[in-house]
Amino acid sequence: MRRFVGMVIFAILVPVVLAVISYGVYLAVGGLAAAFANQGWPWQYGAAIVNVVFVLLVFQMVTASALTVGERKWSAMIQNRVGPNRIRVFGSSLGGMPFLIADALKMLTKENIEPAKRSKILFDLAPMLAFAPAFALIAVVPLGPPVNVFGHEVSLQVAQLDAGLLYVFASASLAVYGTAIAGWASNNKLAMLGAVRASSQMISYEVSLGLALVGSMMAYQTIRLEDMAVAQGQLLWGWLPALGIFLQPVGAIVFFVSSFAETKRTPFDLPEGESEIVGYFVEYPGMKFGMMMLAEFIEIVVLAAITTAIFFGGWHPVFFEGWLREHLNPIGFAAVCAGAFLGKTLILCWVQLVIRWTLPRFRFDQIQTLCWKMMLPVALANTFLTGALVLWDPSLHALAIVGLLQLGAIVLVTLTAARAPDPAAAHGHGAHAAHATGH
Amino acid sequence: MPYELPKDQPLDIRERLYFPEAFRGVGILMKQFLRNFFFGRDPNPDILARRDGLSGNVTVQYPEERVPYPPAYRGLHRLVPREDGKPRCVACYMCATACPAQCIYIEAGEYPDDPVEKYPVKFVIDELRCVVCGFCVEACPKDAIRMDSGEHAPPSYTRAAQIWDEKRLLRGAPVSYQYDPWLRRGSPSIPPEKLAEMRARARPFPANATDEYTQTPGFSVRALAAEARERLERASGGK
Repeated sequence: MRRFVGMVIFAILVPVVLAVISYGVYLAVGGLAAAFANQGWPWQYGAAIVNVVFVLLVFQMVTASALTVGERKWSAMIQNRVGPNRIRVFGSSLGGMPFLIADALKMLTKENIEPAKRSKILFDLAPMLAFAPAFALIAVVPLGPPVNVFGHEVSLQVAQLDAGLLYVFASASLAVYGTAIAGWASNNKLAMLGAVRASSQMISYEVSLGLALVGSMMAYQTIRLEDMAVAQGQLLWGWLPALGIFLQPVGAIVFFVSSFAETKRTPFDLPEGESEIVGYFVEYPGMKFGMMMLAEFIEIVVLAAITTAIFFGGWHPVFFEGWLREHLNPIGFAAVCAGAFLGKTLILCWVQLVIRWTLPRFRFDQIQTLCWKMMLPVALANTFLTGALVLWDPSLHALAIVGLLQLGAIVLVTLTAARAPDPAAAHGHGAHAAHATGH
Repeated sequence: MPYELPKDQPLDIRERLYFPEAFRGVGILMKQFLRNFFFGRDPNPDILARRDGLSGNVTVQYPEERVPYPPAYRGLHRLVPREDGKPRCVACYMCATACPAQCIYIEAGEYPDDPVEKYPVKFVIDELRCVVCGFCVEACPKDAIRMDSGEHAPPSYTRAAQIWDEKRLLRGAPVSYQYDPWLRRGSPSIPPEKLAEMRARARPFPANATDEYTQTPGFSVRALAAEARERLERASGGK
């Protein structure tokens, strides 16, 4: 019972803490912007510097590295285990968090083994090439709404690019170079196999990844993520928030699955496939491997953030939004919004880890079948359907009706029970007896 | 007739769509996660006494939590002492004869001041040879060797450390029975006042082998487990 109360408090405290941190970050962003303006420099630079530090270095890196421990601890909870708990600080294992330090120490102090016949420059370049695109992806994601702080309109977003989603696609497709070069430069057959698998898988899924978002682009008439987040705040019929998941449920699923394949994690972990080929990073020791592993976890965070921004209302708290807007000062409201965004992102990270522990690895032909015969046609059909509906009714009401119907159908198909399992018929004596009489 | 495996049932359309079933699987794992996230496991080391909580976690955190052994657990041997500190053993060689592993070595001797009584000058058990069968305990006519210590053989870096002599083996709670010959007829090796005390404390020999036979009075593995728990609480709560 003590644990239950503690966990409930913890679950409530996390979004509150995130909102409070966001409040401080808003003040810091506005403060540095004002300071830059005083110096006669463009204030956007000051805002961007704080945003880079907070969004990229603090939020993204901390979440990604915490997920490395979270993955082990959460999978333990899923599997009725205890999980990592041997490092104790003041008699408490602190949810396994001290393992972060242990992991980092281990990674950093390992011997730097270098294969003799490696390709020297590329071998060192590959981890960076794998890490950098994933790291930079989150730059266009708006973590909070724009708000006037110290006389400047700032928001928790590193870069407000016109290209928006195109930047996401471009940066995501660069990630394949890291894996491909890692496999090539290792001069190892298994690494090469992993690299080839990674390349074909990632290039295949980029197609459906892009197509899945076309529907959202058409519905919100923009490719800027911050505009998409704003557009999701409108209410249809006065009560239904125009969230992407309501307007584009099929697009959301296709996007989520495709970007899951881009992160190269189970069930799409063929490039790694530790039980068959050790993967494209088989020759990499210590922190070089650590960067590739960290890149995967960063991709999880980025994928969760982008999915939140496009399909789960971005920074809109969704519930009590009007009340919050009236009763809080603008910065406070913006901070609550940012807290909501970060909270949603964390929940989606968790969902991804649960999926990773649910599904076994696909066979390679199954991966390609899923992509080309299932994801791609569905994404194409979704694109055409969305286009037609948006043309017919630009106010999105028709799209919302169709989207809700799709969502209802998905929920219905999922919830209706499978055939009642008949253990006797499936495994035991019954089938045997039936066969015997048949003969 | 060879055993025929039942054929897989053909997948229906819903299963071939893959996603509904995947969603259901994810849902099941989420349920599992939330149960274990919000509800802790019962850390009671006595597994049978655990409450049925919502958590599915049944791990025993071994070094800190130890499952108590059953009362008849055969632990390390001990030579049962009398109240005056001498072994009950009369060096009759019955345990050494019964031992299938031949790990007991005895050298008999006589008390200089007692013309009747024998005692083991040497009583050595090689714990590395011992197969923990308990035959020595069954064979002993004097209830002089028991395996009720509830301990494992402790690890050691040398083989010699696993060879236990009578000095190490003679330990634990002393026992006296009313029919013990040295009590009935008296013994010059025991001071008279001590003899009176031992006679007062002596117990009737149990008619059948009960828990009392397998267990030293006052010794209980459950008490040991409680002590371990207390130690753990002190270690975790004290800091």
